[in-house]
Amino acid sequence: MAKKNERGISRRDFVKVAGAGALAGIGTTFLFPERAWAQQKTLKIIQWSHFVPAYDKEWFDTVFTKEWGQKHNTNVVVDHIAIGEINARAAAEVSAQKGHDLIMFLSPPAAYEKQAIDHSEIYQEVERKHGKPIQLAVKSTLNPKTKKYFAFSDSYVPDPGNWRKDLWSAAGYPKGPDTYDELLDGARKIRKQTGNPCGIGLSQELDTNMAMRALLWSFGGSEQDEHGNVVINSKATIEALKYMRSLFKDAETPEVFTWDPSANNRAMLAGKASFVENAISITREAEVKHMDIGKQIMISHALKGPAARLASEHVMSCYVIWHFAENKEGAKQFLVDFVDHFHDAFKASAFYNFPCFPSTVPNLKDEIANDPKAEPPDKYKVLTDVLDWATNVGHPGYATAAVDEVFNTFVIPTMFAKVARDEMTPENAASAAEKEVKRIFDKWKNA
Amino acid sequence: MSNRKLGAVMFLPAILYVLAVVGVPFVLAFIYSVGDVKIASVGYHFVGLENFRSVLQSPTFRRSLYDSVVFTVGTQIIVLVGSTILALALKEHFRGRGLVRFLILLPWVAPVSLGAIGWKWILDSLYSVINWVLIAVHLVRPFEEPMWLGEPSLAMMSVIGVESWRLLPFSTVILLAGLTAIPRDIPEAAAVDGAGFWRTMFQITIPMMLPIVNVAVLFGIIFTFTDMTVVYILTRGGPYDTTQVLPSLAFFTGVLGGDLAEGAAISIFLVPLLMAVAYLMLRVAHRSEVA
Repeated sequence: MAKKNERGISRRDFVKVAGAGALAGIGTTFLFPERAWAQQKTLKIIQWSHFVPAYDKEWFDTVFTKEWGQKHNTNVVVDHIAIGEINARAAAEVSAQKGHDLIMFLSPPAAYEKQAIDHSEIYQEVERKHGKPIQLAVKSTLNPKTKKYFAFSDSYVPDPGNWRKDLWSAAGYPKGPDTYDELLDGARKIRKQTGNPCGIGLSQELDTNMAMRALLWSFGGSEQDEHGNVVINSKATIEALKYMRSLFKDAETPEVFTWDPSANNRAMLAGKASFVENAISITREAEVKHMDIGKQIMISHALKGPAARLASEHVMSCYVIWHFAENKEGAKQFLVDFVDHFHDAFKASAFYNFPCFPSTVPNLKDEIANDPKAEPPDKYKVLTDVLDWATNVGHPGYATAAVDEVFNTFVIPTMFAKVARDEMTPENAASAAEKEVKRIFDKWKNA
Repeated sequence: MSNRKLGAVMFLPAILYVLAVVGVPFVLAFIYSVGDVKIASVGYHFVGLENFRSVLQSPTFRRSLYDSVVFTVGTQIIVLVGSTILALALKEHFRGRGLVRFLILLPWVAPVSLGAIGWKWILDSLYSVINWVLIAVHLVRPFEEPMWLGEPSLAMMSVIGVESWRLLPFSTVILLAGLTAIPRDIPEAAAVDGAGFWRTMFQITIPMMLPIVNVAVLFGIIFTFTDMTVVYILTRGGPYDTTQVLPSLAFFTGVLGGDLAEGAAISIFLVPLLMAVAYLMLRVAHRSEVA
């Protein structure tokens, strides 16, 4: 006979009760697995840790995905990853043919086309509700040859100039630099007067990749033409290279060769740099942390060059659903619903994420022009015409897999950096970059 | 079960481990390197040596090859000299020897990424503690501090320094084991015959330690040539590829750039050379042992 303990239940009784309970719990799932599946699905999402942390903490992770999950009886799992690790993670998932249902890239992931579903269906559904997407989104996610949308872009992040009001006013530019000529002149003066360097990066990282493309396009150069032919070795490229050499020699320090994507944020907030090209995360961080320096940092349009006023988007949000995703339908529905709620995303990101479907934020101009958090409240007003000067990686063509490899192997920043340090003449650097870009384009021709 | 069979059975897990962790990836890398595999490919076509031809045309590859040699040789010189000095010092009895040995081992037992991130902040352009001290003692002026990771020569010295810091304990332990294995009566007899420290060092200690030094150098070369963590975390190959080494270039090209085949070609480019180095060094070690 089982020995009863002092509280009146034997060990054997306990095992019986616990066992019966466990079997009852497991039993329904074991005997009727389809019913268990019907009970709750899972949607796994992986994306970067947003540069405006409140976006993740106060909206995406804790509000939107939770509510969406409840509505669709789905357990939404959101994993965050460092900005520089996204491509490595994507490669690992593709290699294992297993991973998340939705993965978000920060630049067009054309190389992954064969592993991605055609996202046309999502574009069509969203377009039906919210009108056409902006060209920037189309050119970043459509392969013009296969007519396949290899990703879905919900938003982009403008890449304006960030300048120090006190320093630039003392240098004779109270409204900050508007052109590359003014940048060179003002940055030189500031460097001489106070020692503060200009902070346009020359490193092998995301921000430099974007800044160097902005400079190249504004001088009339580009890595490819609209038909995908390599045209980087041009007179315009050589002029852009000469400009960057002057800017580095006269107004920068070798610090710009060391930078990672958040280094220019730090340099600006530490009061060191006079000008950087970055999203509005710098000023937003200053506002959240009540930093005095934030009042001195102003936002400008992309700078005007001899040929154009152009800049790339700082980040191009590109969601991809893999062929091997376990919950494709859920992922598609999530993206459609996400765009339905984009106005909330826009606000939660503190105007960092701009809509690829403009009708989702109908009063964007008014909202930006009157931001109570900003000082002055119209600090971000200059972003209202961002679509006039923002363009895609690969401009004037599409963001192809070859462009993706050129981007991720930092061919353009390396070309500029070598000229800045007199390792190569502008002519030789343009020629060397042409060879490298052609070599990469040739590899992808038949891929 | 016979001893022979028992030996084979006990040896099997090690063989399986090496095959799974080293053999399979190596064969896969070789297959990729002669194919047209891209990051999202769904098929495979044999392209012969096309990927090797392509990388040889790339100035970045040639630069990385050069950097790999400089990085490895530089690191090994520092490690060899440093670990010999440390091993000689740690062989002696002194108070706190155990603690010193423990502290010297730390860089080896700590995760390499953790150590490299620590060094990244020490050498950071904005928050470098070294620069802060240099400015505080008025050796350099603000805005003119050295950019440890921004000047090509300083950046190469930095990655070599950090890699040496990481490998020094491993080499020290090996050399220390070699030193303690030298029979005491030999240096004692030399001392009786009037040999001083340097003579004993160069005519007795070093020749007797040659086989074990070879092993330390061999491991050091292979560890350094195949490591990308320090470079990736500290400089990502910059400034403008002047610290780019073959493993980091393989990663950038194959994983981030999406061209797995070319990444594989880069990564196995030095295998024949490394095998030759290993063979030669092991032969030298064997001859020294026999002698």
